[in-house]
Amino acid sequence: MAKLLIAGGRHPLQGTIKISGAKNAAVAIIPAAILTSAPVRIENLPEINDIQALVEILEFLGVHAQWESPSTLSVDASTLDKWEPPYELVKKLRASYYLIGALVGRFGRAEVPVPGGCDLGPRPIDQHIKGLTALGAKVEVEHGIIKVEAKKLIGANIYLDIVSVGATINIMLAAVRAKGKTVIENAAKEPEIVDVANFLNAMGAQIRGAGTDVIKITGVSELGPVNHSVIPDRIEAGTYMIAAAATAGNVLLCDVIPKHIDPIVAKLREMGVTVDVADDQVRVIGCHLPQAVDIKTFPYPGFPTDLQSLAMVLLTQANGSSIITENVFEGRFKHVDELKRMGARIKVEGRTAIIEGCSQLSGAPVRATDLRAGAAFVVAGMLAEGETVISDIGHIYRGYEKICSKLNSLGANITEID
Amino acid sequence: MDGSFDQTMKFKRKMDDEVYQAKDVFSVVYDALKEKGYNPINQIVGYLLSGDPAYITSHNNARVLIRKLERDELLEELVGNYLQQLDKS
Repeated sequence: MAKLLIAGGRHPLQGTIKISGAKNAAVAIIPAAILTSAPVRIENLPEINDIQALVEILEFLGVHAQWESPSTLSVDASTLDKWEPPYELVKKLRASYYLIGALVGRFGRAEVPVPGGCDLGPRPIDQHIKGLTALGAKVEVEHGIIKVEAKKLIGANIYLDIVSVGATINIMLAAVRAKGKTVIENAAKEPEIVDVANFLNAMGAQIRGAGTDVIKITGVSELGPVNHSVIPDRIEAGTYMIAAAATAGNVLLCDVIPKHIDPIVAKLREMGVTVDVADDQVRVIGCHLPQAVDIKTFPYPGFPTDLQSLAMVLLTQANGSSIITENVFEGRFKHVDELKRMGARIKVEGRTAIIEGCSQLSGAPVRATDLRAGAAFVVAGMLAEGETVISDIGHIYRGYEKICSKLNSLGANITEID
Repeated sequence: MDGSFDQTMKFKRKMDDEVYQAKDVFSVVYDALKEKGYNPINQIVGYLLSGDPAYITSHNNARVLIRKLERDELLEELVGNYLQQLDKS
Protein backbone atom coordinates (compact mmCIF):
# COMPACT_ATOMS: atom_id res chain seq x y z
CA MET A 1 0.00 0.00 0.00
CA ALA A 2 1.32 3.44 -0.93
CA LYS A 3 2.32 5.92 1.76
CA LEU A 4 3.21 9.59 1.83
CA LEU A 5 6.71 10.68 2.85
CA ILE A 6 6.81 14.27 4.03
CA ALA A 7 9.99 16.20 4.61
CA GLY A 8 9.48 18.55 7.55
CA GLY A 9 11.20 21.75 8.57
CA ARG A 10 8.33 24.26 8.51
CA HIS A 11 9.43 25.74 5.20
CA PRO A 12 7.00 28.56 4.32
CA LEU A 13 4.59 27.65 1.52
CA GLN A 14 4.67 30.23 -1.27
CA GLY A 15 2.77 30.58 -4.50
CA THR A 16 -0.66 30.25 -6.07
CA ILE A 17 -3.09 27.34 -6.26
CA LYS A 18 -6.50 26.83 -7.82
CA ILE A 19 -9.25 25.35 -5.69
CA SER A 20 -11.12 22.36 -7.17
CA GLY A 21 -14.85 21.67 -7.28
CA ALA A 22 -16.57 20.85 -3.99
CA LYS A 23 -16.46 17.16 -3.11
CA ASN A 24 -19.53 17.36 -0.90
CA ALA A 25 -21.60 18.96 -3.67
CA ALA A 26 -20.28 16.69 -6.42
CA VAL A 27 -21.04 13.46 -4.53
CA ALA A 28 -24.71 14.46 -4.36
CA ILE A 29 -24.98 15.97 -7.85
CA ILE A 30 -23.73 12.81 -9.60
CA PRO A 31 -26.45 10.58 -8.06
CA ALA A 32 -28.97 13.38 -8.75
CA ALA A 33 -28.16 13.03 -12.46
CA ILE A 34 -30.10 9.74 -12.57
CA LEU A 35 -33.36 11.55 -11.81
CA THR A 36 -33.67 12.32 -15.51
CA SER A 37 -33.25 10.28 -18.65
CA ALA A 38 -32.18 13.44 -20.51
CA PRO A 39 -28.47 14.25 -21.06
CA VAL A 40 -26.61 15.75 -18.10
CA ARG A 41 -23.25 17.50 -18.17
CA ILE A 42 -21.37 18.29 -14.96
CA GLU A 43 -18.32 20.58 -14.99
CA ASN A 44 -15.66 21.39 -12.36
CA LEU A 45 -15.77 17.95 -10.74
CA PRO A 46 -12.79 17.26 -8.49
CA GLU A 47 -10.42 14.45 -9.56
CA ILE A 48 -10.83 12.39 -6.40
CA ASN A 49 -11.48 8.75 -5.58
CA ASP A 50 -14.99 9.35 -4.25
CA ILE A 51 -16.06 10.64 -7.66
CA GLN A 52 -14.47 7.69 -9.47
CA ALA A 53 -16.29 5.33 -7.09
CA LEU A 54 -19.64 7.02 -7.74
CA VAL A 55 -19.17 6.84 -11.50
CA GLU A 56 -18.40 3.12 -11.15
CA ILE A 57 -21.64 2.66 -9.21
CA LEU A 58 -23.65 4.52 -11.86
CA GLU A 59 -22.11 2.38 -14.60
CA PHE A 60 -23.02 -0.77 -12.64
CA LEU A 61 -26.61 0.50 -12.51
CA GLY A 62 -26.67 0.78 -16.29
CA VAL A 63 -25.90 4.49 -16.69
CA HIS A 64 -23.70 5.61 -19.56
CA ALA A 65 -21.11 8.00 -18.08
CA GLN A 66 -18.31 9.54 -20.09
CA TRP A 67 -15.46 11.84 -19.10
CA GLU A 68 -15.15 14.73 -21.59
CA SER A 69 -12.16 16.05 -19.64
CA PRO A 70 -10.67 15.21 -16.22
CA SER A 71 -13.25 17.50 -14.60
CA THR A 72 -16.25 17.26 -16.94
CA LEU A 73 -18.61 14.29 -16.92
CA SER A 74 -21.52 13.63 -19.23
CA VAL A 75 -24.21 11.28 -17.92
CA ASP A 76 -26.94 9.52 -19.84
CA ALA A 77 -29.23 7.73 -17.38
CA SER A 78 -31.82 6.74 -19.99
CA THR A 79 -30.36 3.21 -19.85
CA LEU A 80 -30.55 2.95 -16.03
CA ASP A 81 -32.14 -0.42 -15.26
CA LYS A 82 -30.97 -1.47 -11.77
CA TRP A 83 -31.67 -0.14 -8.29
CA GLU A 84 -29.37 -2.40 -6.23
CA PRO A 85 -25.78 -1.10 -6.15
CA PRO A 86 -23.36 -3.70 -4.74
CA TYR A 87 -21.76 -3.48 -1.29
CA GLU A 88 -18.20 -3.68 -2.72
CA LEU A 89 -18.73 -0.33 -4.46
CA VAL A 90 -21.05 1.36 -1.96
CA LYS A 91 -18.76 0.73 1.03
CA LYS A 92 -16.14 3.02 -0.51
CA LEU A 93 -17.99 6.22 0.29
CA ARG A 94 -20.52 7.55 2.76
CA ALA A 95 -22.24 9.66 0.12
CA SER A 96 -23.51 6.57 -1.67
CA TYR A 97 -26.63 7.02 0.48
CA TYR A 98 -27.68 9.76 -1.97
CA LEU A 99 -28.45 6.92 -4.36
CA ILE A 100 -31.41 6.08 -2.13
CA GLY A 101 -33.19 9.40 -2.68
CA ALA A 102 -32.25 9.48 -6.37
CA LEU A 103 -33.32 5.88 -7.13
CA VAL A 104 -36.57 6.25 -5.20
CA GLY A 105 -37.22 9.52 -7.04
CA ARG A 106 -36.66 7.77 -10.37
CA PHE A 107 -38.03 4.25 -9.81
CA GLY A 108 -39.96 4.36 -6.56
CA ARG A 109 -37.56 1.77 -5.16
CA ALA A 110 -33.97 1.31 -4.03
CA GLU A 111 -31.89 -1.32 -2.26
CA VAL A 112 -28.65 0.27 -1.08
CA PRO A 113 -26.20 -1.26 1.40
CA VAL A 114 -25.58 0.83 4.52
CA PRO A 115 -22.77 3.13 3.30
CA GLY A 116 -19.08 3.30 4.26
CA GLY A 117 -16.88 6.40 4.45
CA CYS A 118 -14.91 7.93 7.33
CA ASP A 119 -15.38 6.59 10.84
CA LEU A 120 -16.33 9.75 12.73
CA GLY A 121 -18.45 8.08 15.38
CA PRO A 122 -22.19 7.41 15.15
CA ARG A 123 -23.75 8.96 12.04
CA PRO A 124 -27.27 7.58 12.04
CA ILE A 125 -29.40 7.73 8.93
CA ASP A 126 -32.62 7.89 10.93
CA GLN A 127 -33.44 11.38 9.62
CA HIS A 128 -33.13 10.11 6.04
CA ILE A 129 -35.52 7.27 6.88
CA LYS A 130 -37.91 9.65 8.65
CA GLY A 131 -38.05 11.89 5.57
CA LEU A 132 -38.54 9.07 3.06
CA THR A 133 -41.23 7.50 5.23
CA ALA A 134 -43.05 10.82 5.46
CA LEU A 135 -43.07 10.95 1.64
CA GLY A 136 -44.92 7.63 1.60
CA ALA A 137 -42.05 5.19 1.17
CA LYS A 138 -41.76 1.93 3.08
CA VAL A 139 -38.24 1.68 4.50
CA GLU A 140 -36.63 -1.42 6.02
CA VAL A 141 -33.06 -2.16 6.99
CA GLU A 142 -32.34 -5.87 6.52
CA HIS A 143 -28.97 -7.63 6.56
CA GLY A 144 -27.11 -4.35 6.12
CA ILE A 145 -29.23 -3.22 3.19
CA ILE A 146 -31.59 -0.25 3.22
CA LYS A 147 -34.67 -1.31 1.26
CA VAL A 148 -37.02 1.45 0.15
CA GLU A 149 -40.21 1.07 -1.82
CA ALA A 150 -42.87 3.62 -2.70
CA LYS A 151 -45.84 3.05 -4.97
CA LYS A 152 -46.26 6.79 -5.06
CA LEU A 153 -44.27 9.56 -3.37
CA ILE A 154 -46.48 12.29 -1.96
CA GLY A 155 -45.24 15.65 -0.67
CA ALA A 156 -45.20 16.13 3.10
CA ASN A 157 -44.08 18.46 5.87
CA ILE A 158 -40.87 17.08 7.38
CA TYR A 159 -39.21 18.51 10.47
CA LEU A 160 -35.63 17.29 10.88
CA ASP A 161 -34.85 16.55 14.54
CA ILE A 162 -31.19 17.33 13.94
CA VAL A 163 -29.65 19.49 11.24
CA SER A 164 -28.35 16.98 8.68
CA VAL A 165 -26.83 17.78 5.29
CA GLY A 166 -27.26 14.19 4.10
CA ALA A 167 -30.91 13.93 5.14
CA THR A 168 -31.74 17.36 3.68
CA ILE A 169 -30.28 16.42 0.29
CA ASN A 170 -31.72 12.90 0.25
CA ILE A 171 -35.22 14.21 0.97
CA MET A 172 -34.80 16.85 -1.76
CA LEU A 173 -33.80 14.14 -4.25
CA ALA A 174 -36.81 12.00 -3.42
CA ALA A 175 -39.24 14.92 -3.31
CA VAL A 176 -38.46 16.63 -6.64
CA ARG A 177 -40.64 14.15 -8.53
CA ALA A 178 -43.16 13.50 -5.74
CA LYS A 179 -46.75 14.57 -6.10
CA GLY A 180 -47.49 17.85 -4.36
CA LYS A 181 -45.47 20.04 -2.04
CA THR A 182 -42.78 19.00 0.43
CA VAL A 183 -41.52 21.32 3.14
CA ILE A 184 -38.29 20.50 5.00
CA GLU A 185 -38.04 22.40 8.27
CA ASN A 186 -34.84 22.71 10.30
CA ALA A 187 -33.00 21.96 7.05
CA ALA A 188 -29.21 22.20 6.82
CA LYS A 189 -27.94 25.40 5.15
CA GLU A 190 -24.60 24.29 3.71
CA PRO A 191 -23.57 25.78 0.32
CA GLU A 192 -23.39 22.26 -1.10
CA ILE A 193 -27.16 21.98 -0.59
CA VAL A 194 -27.64 25.19 -2.57
CA ASP A 195 -25.50 23.77 -5.36
CA VAL A 196 -27.54 20.55 -5.51
CA ALA A 197 -30.74 22.64 -5.59
CA ASN A 198 -29.28 24.79 -8.40
CA PHE A 199 -28.52 21.64 -10.36
CA LEU A 200 -32.01 20.21 -9.86
CA ASN A 201 -33.73 23.53 -10.57
CA ALA A 202 -31.81 23.86 -13.83
CA MET A 203 -33.28 20.44 -14.73
CA GLY A 204 -36.77 21.85 -14.12
CA ALA A 205 -37.28 21.06 -10.43
CA GLN A 206 -39.13 23.54 -8.21
CA ILE A 207 -36.99 23.92 -5.09
CA ARG A 208 -37.10 27.14 -3.11
CA GLY A 209 -35.31 28.19 0.08
CA ALA A 210 -32.11 26.11 -0.19
CA GLY A 211 -29.50 27.79 2.00
CA THR A 212 -32.17 28.68 4.59
CA ASP A 213 -33.66 26.43 7.27
CA VAL A 214 -36.94 25.95 5.37
CA ILE A 215 -36.82 24.32 1.94
CA LYS A 216 -39.97 24.01 -0.16
CA ILE A 217 -40.16 21.55 -3.02
CA THR A 218 -43.05 21.36 -5.46
CA GLY A 219 -42.93 18.05 -7.26
CA VAL A 220 -42.70 17.93 -11.06
CA SER A 221 -43.47 14.98 -13.32
CA GLU A 222 -40.35 15.21 -15.43
CA LEU A 223 -36.82 16.63 -15.35
CA GLY A 224 -34.87 17.74 -18.40
CA PRO A 225 -31.28 18.15 -19.57
CA VAL A 226 -28.78 20.28 -17.66
CA ASN A 227 -25.26 21.66 -17.87
CA HIS A 228 -23.96 22.58 -14.44
CA SER A 229 -20.65 23.69 -12.92
CA VAL A 230 -19.90 22.60 -9.34
CA ILE A 231 -19.04 25.31 -6.78
CA PRO A 232 -15.48 25.56 -5.37
CA ASP A 233 -14.58 23.38 -2.38
CA ARG A 234 -14.58 25.49 0.78
CA ILE A 235 -12.97 22.68 2.81
CA GLU A 236 -10.10 22.30 0.36
CA ALA A 237 -9.66 26.09 0.44
CA GLY A 238 -9.66 26.05 4.25
CA THR A 239 -7.11 23.22 4.26
CA TYR A 240 -4.61 25.21 2.19
CA MET A 241 -5.32 28.41 4.13
CA ILE A 242 -4.42 26.59 7.35
CA ALA A 243 -1.35 25.01 5.72
CA ALA A 244 -0.17 28.47 4.61
CA ALA A 245 -0.78 29.93 8.07
CA ALA A 246 0.93 27.02 9.86
CA THR A 247 4.10 27.30 7.77
CA ALA A 248 4.17 31.11 8.02
CA GLY A 249 3.83 31.10 4.25
CA ASN A 250 2.31 33.41 1.65
CA VAL A 251 -0.26 31.66 -0.54
CA LEU A 252 -2.85 32.96 -3.00
CA LEU A 253 -5.92 30.75 -3.46
CA CYS A 254 -7.90 31.22 -6.68
CA ASP A 255 -11.47 30.17 -7.48
CA VAL A 256 -12.98 30.46 -4.03
CA ILE A 257 -16.30 31.84 -2.83
CA PRO A 258 -15.11 34.06 0.05
CA LYS A 259 -18.51 34.03 1.78
CA HIS A 260 -18.19 30.26 2.26
CA ILE A 261 -14.92 30.56 4.15
CA ASP A 262 -15.95 33.41 6.48
CA PRO A 263 -15.51 31.34 9.68
CA ILE A 264 -12.01 30.28 8.68
CA VAL A 265 -11.01 33.81 7.72
CA ALA A 266 -12.35 35.09 11.06
CA LYS A 267 -10.41 32.53 13.12
CA LEU A 268 -7.16 33.00 11.20
CA ARG A 269 -7.37 36.77 11.64
CA GLU A 270 -8.05 36.27 15.35
CA MET A 271 -4.78 34.32 15.45
CA GLY A 272 -2.90 37.24 13.86
CA VAL A 273 -2.68 35.73 10.39
CA THR A 274 -3.10 38.19 7.51
CA VAL A 275 -5.96 37.22 5.20
CA ASP A 276 -6.72 39.44 2.20
CA VAL A 277 -9.99 38.68 0.46
CA ALA A 278 -10.76 39.97 -3.03
CA ASP A 279 -13.47 38.84 -5.46
CA ASP A 280 -12.84 35.10 -5.90
CA GLN A 281 -9.33 35.02 -4.43
CA VAL A 282 -7.87 34.84 -0.94
CA ARG A 283 -4.28 35.51 0.10
CA VAL A 284 -3.03 34.09 3.39
CA ILE A 285 0.17 35.42 4.93
CA GLY A 286 1.12 33.50 8.04
CA CYS A 287 3.02 34.77 11.08
CA HIS A 288 5.72 32.94 13.03
CA LEU A 289 3.85 32.84 16.33
CA PRO A 290 0.06 32.86 15.86
CA GLN A 291 -2.12 33.59 18.88
CA ALA A 292 -4.01 30.80 20.65
CA VAL A 293 -7.77 30.83 20.02
CA ASP A 294 -10.78 28.77 21.02
CA ILE A 295 -12.79 27.05 18.27
CA LYS A 296 -16.22 25.47 18.39
CA THR A 297 -17.41 23.47 15.40
CA PHE A 298 -20.98 23.92 14.22
CA PRO A 299 -23.05 23.30 11.09
CA TYR A 300 -22.69 26.00 8.40
CA PRO A 301 -22.22 28.94 8.79
CA GLY A 302 -20.28 27.90 11.89
CA PHE A 303 -16.67 26.68 11.89
CA PRO A 304 -16.70 23.44 9.85
CA THR A 305 -16.04 20.15 11.64
CA ASP A 306 -14.12 19.07 8.53
CA LEU A 307 -11.38 21.59 9.38
CA GLN A 308 -11.19 20.79 13.10
CA SER A 309 -8.22 18.41 12.85
CA LEU A 310 -6.35 20.87 10.62
CA ALA A 311 -7.03 23.76 12.97
CA MET A 312 -5.71 21.59 15.79
CA VAL A 313 -2.38 21.17 14.01
CA LEU A 314 -2.12 24.93 13.52
CA LEU A 315 -2.90 25.54 17.20
CA THR A 316 0.03 23.34 18.27
CA GLN A 317 2.18 26.20 16.93
CA ALA A 318 0.25 29.00 18.69
CA ASN A 319 1.33 31.20 21.55
CA GLY A 320 -0.64 29.78 24.49
CA SER A 321 -3.28 27.12 25.05
CA SER A 322 -6.37 26.74 22.87
CA ILE A 323 -9.62 24.85 23.29
CA ILE A 324 -11.46 23.07 20.48
CA THR A 325 -15.03 21.92 21.10
CA GLU A 326 -16.36 19.41 18.59
CA ASN A 327 -20.11 19.85 18.43
CA VAL A 328 -20.90 17.95 15.21
CA PHE A 329 -19.35 14.44 15.40
CA GLU A 330 -18.63 12.96 18.80
CA GLY A 331 -15.95 10.56 17.56
CA ARG A 332 -13.88 13.10 15.74
CA PHE A 333 -10.76 13.20 17.91
CA LYS A 334 -9.21 10.00 16.58
CA HIS A 335 -6.35 12.01 15.09
CA VAL A 336 -5.24 13.24 18.52
CA ASP A 337 -3.32 10.09 19.45
CA GLU A 338 -1.36 10.25 16.21
CA LEU A 339 -0.61 13.96 16.70
CA LYS A 340 0.61 13.20 20.22
CA ARG A 341 3.02 10.67 18.76
CA MET A 342 4.43 13.56 16.75
CA GLY A 343 5.00 15.55 19.93
CA ALA A 344 1.76 17.55 20.15
CA ARG A 345 0.51 18.23 23.69
CA ILE A 346 -3.24 17.72 23.55
CA LYS A 347 -5.69 16.61 26.22
CA VAL A 348 -9.16 15.38 25.28
CA GLU A 349 -12.14 15.36 27.60
CA GLY A 350 -15.41 14.35 25.97
CA ARG A 351 -16.08 16.71 23.10
CA THR A 352 -13.32 19.14 24.15
CA ALA A 353 -9.63 19.15 23.31
CA ILE A 354 -7.10 21.41 25.01
CA ILE A 355 -4.10 22.13 22.83
CA GLU A 356 -0.86 23.50 24.24
CA GLY A 357 0.93 25.75 21.80
CA CYS A 358 4.60 26.22 20.87
CA SER A 359 5.07 22.47 20.36
CA GLN A 360 8.01 21.28 18.33
CA LEU A 361 6.54 18.43 16.33
CA SER A 362 8.78 15.59 15.27
CA GLY A 363 8.35 13.35 12.25
CA ALA A 364 6.81 9.94 12.92
CA PRO A 365 4.94 7.16 11.15
CA VAL A 366 1.21 7.94 11.42
CA ARG A 367 -1.96 6.43 9.99
CA ALA A 368 -4.61 8.54 8.26
CA THR A 369 -7.60 7.73 10.46
CA ASP A 370 -10.00 9.59 8.16
CA LEU A 371 -9.97 11.95 5.20
CA ARG A 372 -9.51 15.26 7.01
CA ALA A 373 -7.26 13.76 9.68
CA GLY A 374 -5.05 12.56 6.83
CA ALA A 375 -4.78 16.13 5.50
CA ALA A 376 -4.01 17.33 9.03
CA PHE A 377 -1.10 14.86 9.25
CA VAL A 378 0.23 16.18 5.93
CA VAL A 379 0.34 19.70 7.42
CA ALA A 380 1.77 18.37 10.70
CA GLY A 381 4.45 16.57 8.72
CA MET A 382 5.46 19.83 7.02
CA LEU A 383 5.84 21.47 10.45
CA ALA A 384 7.76 18.62 12.06
CA GLU A 385 11.47 18.08 12.42
CA GLY A 386 12.53 15.17 10.26
CA GLU A 387 10.41 12.92 8.10
CA THR A 388 6.82 11.80 8.53
CA VAL A 389 5.33 8.76 6.82
CA ILE A 390 1.54 8.60 6.49
CA SER A 391 -0.15 5.27 5.82
CA ASP A 392 -3.76 4.56 4.75
CA ILE A 393 -3.54 7.49 2.35
CA GLY A 394 -6.54 6.21 0.42
CA HIS A 395 -8.58 8.30 2.84
CA ILE A 396 -6.76 11.45 1.70
CA TYR A 397 -7.19 10.71 -2.01
CA ARG A 398 -10.91 10.18 -1.43
CA GLY A 399 -11.36 13.93 -1.01
CA TYR A 400 -8.31 15.95 -2.09
CA GLU A 401 -7.45 16.44 -5.75
CA LYS A 402 -3.71 16.20 -6.41
CA ILE A 403 -2.86 17.22 -2.85
CA CYS A 404 0.82 16.30 -3.21
CA SER A 405 1.44 18.18 -6.45
CA LYS A 406 -0.56 21.20 -5.25
CA LEU A 407 1.47 21.45 -2.02
CA ASN A 408 4.75 20.65 -3.78
CA SER A 409 4.06 23.52 -6.22
CA LEU A 410 4.06 25.76 -3.12
CA GLY A 411 7.43 24.45 -1.94
CA ALA A 412 6.46 21.39 0.11
CA ASN A 413 8.40 18.16 -0.24
CA ILE A 414 5.90 15.28 -0.34
CA THR A 415 6.55 12.01 -2.13
CA GLU A 416 4.39 8.95 -2.59
CA ILE A 417 6.30 5.81 -1.65
CA ASP A 418 5.46 2.08 -1.64
CA MET B 1 8.69 71.88 5.35
CA ASP B 2 9.41 68.14 5.47
CA GLY B 3 11.60 67.16 2.53
CA SER B 4 9.61 64.00 1.81
CA PHE B 5 7.16 65.95 -0.37
CA ASP B 6 10.00 66.81 -2.76
CA GLN B 7 10.28 63.16 -3.76
CA THR B 8 8.25 61.31 -6.34
CA MET B 9 5.51 59.35 -4.59
CA LYS B 10 3.39 56.52 -5.89
CA PHE B 11 -0.31 56.41 -5.03
CA LYS B 12 -2.34 53.30 -5.55
CA ARG B 13 -5.99 53.75 -6.46
CA LYS B 14 -8.29 51.53 -4.46
CA MET B 15 -10.30 49.37 -6.85
CA ASP B 16 -13.06 49.07 -4.25
CA ASP B 17 -13.88 52.74 -4.80
CA GLU B 18 -15.56 51.82 -8.07
CA VAL B 19 -19.27 52.56 -7.90
CA TYR B 20 -21.60 49.77 -8.92
CA GLN B 21 -25.21 50.48 -9.85
CA ALA B 22 -27.77 47.87 -8.83
CA LYS B 23 -29.40 48.08 -12.25
CA ASP B 24 -26.14 47.20 -14.03
CA VAL B 25 -25.39 44.41 -11.59
CA PHE B 26 -28.84 42.88 -12.08
CA SER B 27 -28.49 43.16 -15.83
CA VAL B 28 -25.17 41.27 -15.99
CA VAL B 29 -26.27 38.66 -13.43
CA TYR B 30 -29.59 38.10 -15.21
CA ASP B 31 -27.91 37.56 -18.57
CA ALA B 32 -25.23 35.27 -17.12
CA LEU B 33 -27.80 33.07 -15.37
CA LYS B 34 -29.97 32.88 -18.46
CA GLU B 35 -27.02 32.02 -20.71
CA LYS B 36 -26.10 29.12 -18.39
CA GLY B 37 -29.64 27.72 -18.40
CA TYR B 38 -30.80 28.76 -14.92
CA ASN B 39 -34.03 30.56 -14.07
CA PRO B 40 -32.66 34.05 -13.27
CA ILE B 41 -35.57 35.12 -11.05
CA ASN B 42 -35.45 32.00 -8.88
CA GLN B 43 -31.68 32.18 -8.56
CA ILE B 44 -31.61 35.89 -7.65
CA VAL B 45 -34.44 35.43 -5.13
CA GLY B 46 -32.55 32.49 -3.65
CA TYR B 47 -29.45 34.65 -3.27
CA LEU B 48 -31.36 37.55 -1.73
CA LEU B 49 -33.07 35.24 0.78
CA SER B 50 -30.11 33.09 1.80
CA GLY B 51 -27.12 35.34 1.11
CA ASP B 52 -25.35 32.39 -0.50
CA PRO B 53 -23.40 33.41 -3.65
CA ALA B 54 -23.58 29.77 -4.80
CA TYR B 55 -26.96 30.76 -6.31
CA ILE B 56 -25.17 32.96 -8.82
CA THR B 57 -23.12 31.46 -11.64
CA SER B 58 -19.46 32.41 -11.96
CA HIS B 59 -20.10 32.85 -15.71
CA ASN B 60 -19.16 36.38 -16.89
CA ASN B 61 -17.96 37.20 -13.35
CA ALA B 62 -21.60 37.45 -12.21
CA ARG B 63 -20.89 35.89 -8.79
CA VAL B 64 -18.19 38.43 -8.03
CA LEU B 65 -20.28 41.30 -9.35
CA ILE B 66 -23.37 40.63 -7.24
CA ARG B 67 -21.21 40.75 -4.10
CA LYS B 68 -20.15 44.32 -4.94
CA LEU B 69 -23.44 45.54 -3.47
CA GLU B 70 -25.01 44.61 -0.16
CA ARG B 71 -28.19 42.55 -0.36
CA ASP B 72 -30.21 45.31 1.33
CA GLU B 73 -29.11 47.74 -1.40
CA LEU B 74 -30.22 45.30 -4.08
CA LEU B 75 -33.54 44.73 -2.32
CA GLU B 76 -34.10 48.50 -1.93
CA GLU B 77 -33.63 48.93 -5.65
CA LEU B 78 -36.08 46.13 -6.44
CA VAL B 79 -38.78 47.25 -4.00
CA GLY B 80 -38.34 50.90 -4.96
CA ASN B 81 -38.68 50.12 -8.64
CA TYR B 82 -41.71 47.92 -8.10
CA LEU B 83 -43.49 50.56 -6.04
CA GLN B 84 -42.68 53.23 -8.64
CA GLN B 85 -44.29 51.04 -11.30
CA LEU B 86 -47.37 50.65 -9.09
CA ASP B 87 -47.60 54.44 -8.70
CA LYS B 88 -47.48 54.90 -12.47
CA SER B 89 -50.20 52.35 -13.19
